[in-house]
Amino acid sequence: MAIATEGTKPIALDGGRKARGNLTRARIRWVIVAIVLGFAVVGGRLVQLGSVVNDPTIEGQTRDAITATRPAILDRNGLEMAVDIRVPSLFAEPRRIIDVDEATEALMTVMPDMNREWLRNRLTGDRGFVWVRREITPALKERILQLGIPGLDFVTESKRFYPGGHEASHVLGAVNIDNQGIAGIERHMDGESVALLQELGIARGRELAPVELSIDMRVQHVLHQELTDALTRYHAIAAAGVILDVRTGEVLALSSLPDFDPNVPATALEKDRFNRITSGIFELGSTMKTVTFAGALDSGRVKITDQFDARFGIRFGRFTIDDFHAKHRVLDASEVYKYSSNIGTIRIMQAMGKDEFRAFLTTLGFDKRVPFELPEMRDPVVPATFSEIVAATASFGHGLSISPLHMAVATAAFVNDGFMVNPTLYKRDLDAARQLYKPVISPATSQEIRYLMRLNALEGSGTRMNRLAAGYRLGGKTGTAEKVVNGRYSSDKVLNVFSSAFPLEDPRYAIVILIDEPEAENAQSGRTAGWNAGEMSGRIVQRIAPMLGIKPDFNEGLDAAIVQAAMR
Amino acid sequence: MIRTLNFILVLTSILGLVAVYGLKFSVEETASSKFALERTIEAQEAELSLLKADWSFLNQPGHIAPIVQRHEAALALVRIDQKQFGSFNDIPMRPAEPDTDALDELFQLLNAGIDPIDQILEQILEE
Repeated sequence: MAIATEGTKPIALDGGRKARGNLTRARIRWVIVAIVLGFAVVGGRLVQLGSVVNDPTIEGQTRDAITATRPAILDRNGLEMAVDIRVPSLFAEPRRIIDVDEATEALMTVMPDMNREWLRNRLTGDRGFVWVRREITPALKERILQLGIPGLDFVTESKRFYPGGHEASHVLGAVNIDNQGIAGIERHMDGESVALLQELGIARGRELAPVELSIDMRVQHVLHQELTDALTRYHAIAAAGVILDVRTGEVLALSSLPDFDPNVPATALEKDRFNRITSGIFELGSTMKTVTFAGALDSGRVKITDQFDARFGIRFGRFTIDDFHAKHRVLDASEVYKYSSNIGTIRIMQAMGKDEFRAFLTTLGFDKRVPFELPEMRDPVVPATFSEIVAATASFGHGLSISPLHMAVATAAFVNDGFMVNPTLYKRDLDAARQLYKPVISPATSQEIRYLMRLNALEGSGTRMNRLAAGYRLGGKTGTAEKVVNGRYSSDKVLNVFSSAFPLEDPRYAIVILIDEPEAENAQSGRTAGWNAGEMSGRIVQRIAPMLGIKPDFNEGLDAAIVQAAMR
Repeated sequence: MIRTLNFILVLTSILGLVAVYGLKFSVEETASSKFALERTIEAQEAELSLLKADWSFLNQPGHIAPIVQRHEAALALVRIDQKQFGSFNDIPMRPAEPDTDALDELFQLLNAGIDPIDQILEQILEE
């Protein structure tokens, strides 16, 4: 449709259809640009969202770890021994604080015990999170909220609370401020494998299944109170005790004084606060004679009616071993036990054979730590082989150091028809315990040991104890061990032990009581174990037996039944 | 025809926009009320944990014993002695019941004017 004209370019006019087509193309282009821009915005936003780093930690710890709860710990009757309480903790976000000086001054008005300089430094800077004070009271939280300082906030933390205070301190142990177990059963609960953690309920979120211990808080209270009483009554430097169920190995009570307050874990670090039952090793003195007798009687080489010459001391090179309550006559085996004759015990051990005696100590597990939940443990010190003199002193409890828990477990096995079972702090039923039984002596020997223990209560060093615990058929062996001071045995510093069991016609509970450096209660009383550790055991049994369902029985037929037929 | 279609499309997109925003706001509201509820629960849990701790503290033997000691004199409390325990076997059997038939007979005799004692006395005198 071009019109050709001279000298000019030909004028070309687009047709209506073509013009509309161009316009549409331009519009499409603009729409494409708009859409691309739109997608670019969405994509940019996505990148922005993706690159935001959400810091889940608080000063290097995960928030979960801080707010994590621990399962409650219950005693065997369901009484709480440890619970979690949820308390506020104050933190600051320094980058959001406008006026540091004003904030510092305001905080000082409600928490005057804080260090002003420290607080000011803490709140200055560009950090996103700093602790100001952890585990405060709800009342203090209210007052801080009323100050209305921006940049301060609270996190609810779990704090461990031990309602019993001192009473079960060595059993429970303690946790640090981040609620991690640092001692005792709390530490043990954390150290278990993940599978067991789940079994205990720790890894199951907020609602945690409580952990049931074998401890009976009533018995624990009595033990703790009597030990506290002993410290003042006998001016002792320390006292400790453990009560075991002989059939199941459950620990009903365990206490060692001086102790600490688990609510203030720092007190556990003070001197001499260690757990003497598990991590103290001592020469337990004459209580070891029960062990020697059990081994010798079980070997069959010694009979309870055998006679032993205790007229003269026994010489080993330049040492002579003599008796404390010397009778200087021929004694039969039960008299050796009753009068706690060192000479007689050595002769009994020699009749058994020193290597057999050493092997018997291994059978009882005296070579290694007692398998037990508490992490506070120390290796016992028992010579690997016994020379004549070491075997002789070991037979009456010197020259080898074991923990009182070793003695308690051995005593429990001796009266439990000879079946040894590892002690535990968790609840265990009789059927489960029977699976773990390990025979160490025969039931017949167990009968004889029960007879000897009861005889000692009726006629020997346990008579003072027996008067207090009359009717509960308690019996045991005293031990007065001279302590080593500057490398020699001291006659004024003694460690007194009483290991006992009751009711002896059908033993249920074993007790080991330890008292360190006691003095005579008054001018008329003595300082040997029967006067303090023995009497303490009597007082404890008098109080706990009714709680444990043991009825006093004054029927003399019961004692007669324990007496061996051979002895009648 | 296209015009009406466009109109319908614009209308649906406006409606969709309103619906999406409505949903967004309602979700936000639900989220904030959920958050508020969570805070309440947390506060109440904290309070509950304190009350539970209080309760277990008050129930500890170590807490109750001093209270008992304080009131020992007023309530005349003493520690139980072994001699104070007993069992059902120690209780004597109930005494034999009185012979009611014999008594009835006696009263009837007395009412009838006969005194058995008199009779016995008379018998003795006669002998």
